[in-house]
Amino acid sequence: MLFFSYFKDLVGQEVTVELKNDLAIRGTLHSVDQYLNIKLENTRVVDQDKFPHMLSVRNCFIRGSVVRYVQLPPDGVDVDLLHDAARREARGG
Amino acid sequence: MVVGGLREFALRRSGDGSPALDESNGEELMHVQPSVAVALGSRSVESPGTLYITSRKLIWLSDVDVAKGYAVDFLSISLHAVSRDPQTYSSPCIYTQIEVVEDDEDDTESAGVLELSKIREMRLVPSDATQLDTLFDVFCECAELNPEPVEEEEEEESGHNWVFSADQMVVGGGGEEDAEWQISQSPTSVIGHSNGGDESIAQPMLELRINDQRFDDAEEMVHESETKDH
Repeated sequence: MLFFSYFKDLVGQEVTVELKNDLAIRGTLHSVDQYLNIKLENTRVVDQDKFPHMLSVRNCFIRGSVVRYVQLPPDGVDVDLLHDAARREARGG
Repeated sequence: MVVGGLREFALRRSGDGSPALDESNGEELMHVQPSVAVALGSRSVESPGTLYITSRKLIWLSDVDVAKGYAVDFLSISLHAVSRDPQTYSSPCIYTQIEVVEDDEDDTESAGVLELSKIREMRLVPSDATQLDTLFDVFCECAELNPEPVEEEEEEESGHNWVFSADQMVVGGGGEEDAEWQISQSPTSVIGHSNGGDESIAQPMLELRINDQRFDDAEEMVHESETKDH
């Protein structure tokens, strides 16, 4: 549940979600659930040529299983803290 | 069982024409939206029809052609959103992306079913645009009801294959866990020993024997979370 807790703390921040089909969507993280399904608001598409239909979309729900990366704001990440927490979780199970 | 993607669906109950569900497996109807048109990929819009949203999948049935209908599992719906810009599409609609399983074989010669399974985008256009937010919320609920199925072996404590402990890889020194270097100081394995000459200058080099299996080549993929650089 580590990343679920982590993303919950990021709610309200700007993120870019890159899907496995290469679509990248930037927006404000509205909410996240235990499956890391993501709801974004104020979305804009990074590559508008490939998915022109996304231009008119402002809020969306992204299935957690299709996310490749979530790009985080650099000052929204405490890398050391996250590293330690991930290590603890991997050990503790 | 067809895995993934959009497919034809025409199983209707004889009474009210609603879709036949897999109730024995717990599938239930969540929402019915009459008067909905559907646009698959870049195809033209098809209407009139009725949208049935079940706990497992989304079904659109034509109101005029009993043989025509489409279904897609929520497991395959990557993304859904409300789309309202009239310049992008003439009517407000629910925009969805469908995850398509790439086939190695090129079966595009076969018409019908296989073409449907390649559809990546689907728009659902209710004649009542005030229902869009409700539909969006129902889609969210149903997506949450359909998480990725977890295989049994992943439940084992030791079965997880991710590498993200510093015990499994050394990153930047490893902090308080210094690598245990095993330095062999046996004179018989000294290398760089000069042949004759001035031995006071040539310091014998120690051969490092690293037997720690932590330094073996990794057999599994390293989690990519650290590699993206923006």
